[in-house]
Amino acid sequence: MLRWIVWRDLMLAWRRRADMLSTVFFFVIVVSLFPLGIGPETQLLRTIAPGVVWVAALLASMLSLGRLFANDYQDGTLEQLLLTPQPLFLVVLGKTFAHWIVAELPLVLIAPLVGVQFDLSRETLWILFLSLLVGTPVLSLIGSVGAALTLGLRGGGVLISLLVLPLYIPALIFGAGAVEASVMGTSPSAHLSLLGAFAIVSLLFSPWATAAALRISLE
Amino acid sequence: MNWPDLSMGGYGFYVWGSYIASLIFFVWEVVSLKQRKKALTQQQQQSSKPVSPPVLRGSINETTS
Amino acid sequence: MNIYKYASPAMFYPIAGKLIPWFAIPAALLFATGLFVGFFIAPTDFQQGDAYRIIFIHVPAAWMGMFLYVLMAIYAGIGWAFNARLSSMMASSLAITGAMFTAISLITGAFWGKPTWGTWWVWDARMTSTLILLFLYIGFISLQAAIDDARRADRAGAVLALVGVINVPIIYFSVQWWNTLHQGATIRLLQKPTIRGSMLAALLIMLAACWLYSVAVVLIRLRCIILEREQSASRFAEVGV
Repeated sequence: MLRWIVWRDLMLAWRRRADMLSTVFFFVIVVSLFPLGIGPETQLLRTIAPGVVWVAALLASMLSLGRLFANDYQDGTLEQLLLTPQPLFLVVLGKTFAHWIVAELPLVLIAPLVGVQFDLSRETLWILFLSLLVGTPVLSLIGSVGAALTLGLRGGGVLISLLVLPLYIPALIFGAGAVEASVMGTSPSAHLSLLGAFAIVSLLFSPWATAAALRISLE
Repeated sequence: MNWPDLSMGGYGFYVWGSYIASLIFFVWEVVSLKQRKKALTQQQQQSSKPVSPPVLRGSINETTS
Repeated sequence: MNIYKYASPAMFYPIAGKLIPWFAIPAALLFATGLFVGFFIAPTDFQQGDAYRIIFIHVPAAWMGMFLYVLMAIYAGIGWAFNARLSSMMASSLAITGAMFTAISLITGAFWGKPTWGTWWVWDARMTSTLILLFLYIGFISLQAAIDDARRADRAGAVLALVGVINVPIIYFSVQWWNTLHQGATIRLLQKPTIRGSMLAALLIMLAACWLYSVAVVLIRLRCIILEREQSASRFAEVGV
C-alpha cells in the first residue's frame, strides 16, 4: 500500500513536471538574490552562505507544501483514502515521502552547485549537501502537518508559512549550523547528529499529527 | 520609603516608555473587549431572544416543547 | 451536585460574569501595590541604575506569555479529546491575551536593552525564544481566524497548539545552542540584577496582578465567544441548515 501511494504520487507529479522545476528555480533565484542585495565580497559571502541556502530551502519547501494534499482534496481522492482500511499514518507517510522526492530532493541535489556561487570549499559543499539531505525530510514531515491543517482554506501559502516556519527553526539552526561549522573549520558532526535526531523524531510523530489534522479538515 | 527619582537616573524615557507601552496594550485589550461585548448584547436583544442566559441545544435550561 | 453541567457554555456564561469582578478589582489593586513597592520601596540597583525597574513589567509579562501558551494548549487538547466546546473556547480566548503579554515582554525587553546594552534588539536566547513564541501565537490565531466552522477551528487549533507546545522546549534548546555558538563565552545579556527582597516582592506582586488580570480578561472574552457562537448557531437554525 505504501509503495502504491508513493508510486502514484510520483506518477502524478511527473505529469506536472513544471511544478517540480518551478520549486527548483525559485530556490536558485532566491539564493542568487542575496549576493545581489549584499555585495560580492567573497569573505562575506562565505559567511552568509549557510544561512542563505538554508533559508531559501525553507521557503522553497513551504511553497511546495500546498501541493501535498490539495490536488487529491479537490478531486475527492483524499476522502476515499481516508475511508480505506489502511492506516492513515501509512497513507500520509507515503504521500510525504513522494513529496520529499519531488519537491525537496531536487533542492538537495542542486544545492552544491548553488553553493559554488558563494566560494565554498569542496568539503563545505559536501556538508551542505549532507545537511540538506538529512534536514529536508524534517521540512516535509513538519510541513505536512501545516498542509493538512490548512486544507481548503483561503489564505493559502501565507497561512501555511505562519504555522510552519516557527516549527522549522530548530532544523534551520542545526542545518545551517553544520555548514557554518564546516566553513569555520570545526566539526559539524554534533549539528548533523542532532539534525538526524530531529529527522527520526519527526518521522515517528508527524505522520500521526498529520493524519489527525486530515481527519479534522475533512469532517 | 523613598520618593523615586522621576527621571530614573536619566533612563526616564526607557522606563516610562515601557510602562506606557504596556498600559496602551492593557487599555486596548479591555476597551476592545467591552465594545465587542456591547455589540453582541445589542444584537442579542434585537433578535428578540431571551436575554440571559443564552440557550444552547442540550443545555439544562432548555425547555422541551 | 452535577458539576459537569457547568461544562456547557450556556451554564458557564452567568458564572463567568459573576467571577469577573472578583478578579478584575484585585488585579487593579495588586498592580497599584506592585508598582508602589517597585518604585517607592525597592532601592536603585548598583549596576543598572533605575533602568532595571523595567523588569517589574517585563518579567511578569514574559512568564505570563509562556504560561498562557501552555494553558491554551492544555485547554485546546482537552476540548479536542473530550469534545468539550467550552474548553476549546477557553483556548481561543487565552490566545490573544497570551500573545499580548508576549508582545509586551518583547517591547519592554527592547526598552531595557537599549540603555543597558546599547541596542534596541539583542539576539540572546531568551528574547529570541520569546519572539518565536509570538510567532506560534500568531499562527494559532491566524489558523482559527481562517476557518469558518467553529468545531473545525477548535480541533485544528488543538493540533497546532499541541504540536507547538511539544516543540517549545526543542526550539528553546536550539536557540540556546545557537546563541552560545555565536556569542562565545562572553557576557550573558539582559542579566537580571542581584535581587533584593523588596525587588522580589514587587516582581511577585506584579506577577500575581498580571495573572488576575488575565483571568478577568479571558473570562470577558470567553463570554463574547459564547455569545458569538450561540448567535451564529441560532442563525443557522432560522435558515434551517
